[in-house]
Amino acid sequence: MSRSAPLIDADVHNAFADIRAELRPYLSRYWQAYADAHGIVVPPAGYVSPVGVQREDARTPSGGMAGSDPDFLIRDHLDRYSIDFALLTGSHVLGLSVHPDVDWGNAIATAYNQNLADRWLGRSPRFRGSIVINHSDPAAAVREIERCAQDGRFVQVLMASGSSRLFGQRFFHPIYAAAAEHGLPVAIHPGTEGAGTAGAPTPAGRPTRYFEWHNIVPINFMAHVNSLVCEGVFERFPTLRFVAIEGGLAWLPSLLWRMDKNYKALRAETPWLKRLPSDYIRQHVFFTTQPIEEPERPEHFLQVLEMINAPNNILFSSDYPHWDFDNPRMALPPLPAAWKSRIYHENAAALYGLTLDVPVAPSAP
Amino acid sequence: MAKHPVAKVSELPPGTRRLVRVGNIEVGLFHVEGRIVAYRNVCPHAGAPVCVGRISGTSLPSAVYDYQYGHEGCILRCPWHGWEFDLRTGEHLVDPATRLKAIPVVPPASPASEQLEPIPIEREGDSLCLVLPGESPNP
Repeated sequence: MSRSAPLIDADVHNAFADIRAELRPYLSRYWQAYADAHGIVVPPAGYVSPVGVQREDARTPSGGMAGSDPDFLIRDHLDRYSIDFALLTGSHVLGLSVHPDVDWGNAIATAYNQNLADRWLGRSPRFRGSIVINHSDPAAAVREIERCAQDGRFVQVLMASGSSRLFGQRFFHPIYAAAAEHGLPVAIHPGTEGAGTAGAPTPAGRPTRYFEWHNIVPINFMAHVNSLVCEGVFERFPTLRFVAIEGGLAWLPSLLWRMDKNYKALRAETPWLKRLPSDYIRQHVFFTTQPIEEPERPEHFLQVLEMINAPNNILFSSDYPHWDFDNPRMALPPLPAAWKSRIYHENAAALYGLTLDVPVAPSAP
Repeated sequence: MAKHPVAKVSELPPGTRRLVRVGNIEVGLFHVEGRIVAYRNVCPHAGAPVCVGRISGTSLPSAVYDYQYGHEGCILRCPWHGWEFDLRTGEHLVDPATRLKAIPVVPPASPASEQLEPIPIEREGDSLCLVLPGESPNP
């Protein structure tokens, strides 16, 4: 039997059928009582998808929350698309970073990671975990990274992209030091823009509806990537890699060009930068594909990829089982063969240290 | 060749500049670190009158969040886009391949003064003369 080309999905959402029941055993008695009274509450952004966030067809056989049954997720997604590895990015927990009570946020983060290790990571060798941290308490985040990094099935650090501060600022540097020390990329994922202690989804205020909010999520990603470079994070932590999940990528040429142009005039403000800003982004920042931008003419998408040196920086992702899922077989336009292998598996394999079975020559039909 | 007197060295104390013009050619003269240097008043980036920009120092390459100031009096900052040029070399601080158009300041009858490109400035005693093709100006 021939084997299809390798595929790594950099954004797959494991979920909870009953988050309180599943996390409760991992909470201290104090936080159990809190959860019993209030539930596992994290601040919502207040934007509700009119089509629902979870795909209706991805509900579990018993009718539960899409993504909440590991075995069904394997059948419904990994087997269907012959996915070699899925980076699990969780559901309904990233908002812990924008909860006003950092101790509660820390408690959920640890409980989530313990549950993930126990319930998911042992279920399939194709699952890889993200260490969810509370970015509002970097000291606690470092402890969580240190704890989870002992388990090699965790291959990255993950935090909410919603924040009251830009991620380049030195408040966050302990997180990057710990991640770099353990060789773990740091990823951000959207959803908390405008939630809890996070800033408004745009500097000009709050979008009115989910559609408008979802359109403009990239502005937050642009702000964070810009900050990471300008604050010298990649000079200070030269081995750190950063992953921008689900924040789009077609905006990147504009940011690269604007940063490089400004640097030629304004370098004196950031004398620690030794190279053009675009060089740091190309070397250190990775972008996942979903929800992929869809120009009217597909060749324009390829031109954007050329502008951003995409074959080295892009990771395929599906966002299963969310409403704006990208089908691995159909989402991207036809790509040059070398780009395809890099975007669909090689970049992620190198970034996360995943070993793929090298496909053998297809057998005769 | 025509020698056009443009300035006197005594009019150019250390750390100062003079902008001079002969025909359509504008030249900035700078006395920097004991030397007289001269550049065409055209920024290689976008054509601005670069030689009227601020002369200052700038931040030195450093570690993250480490602020050090240096190159005092050696940095010319273009008035249009703020590009910094090192007056000692003419090089843009970000991209050294981008350089101010230098005019060599040379003694009379030196090999460079025989060349048309770049046009030289001859320094003889206190006198600075731009050397251009064509007839000498009337005294």
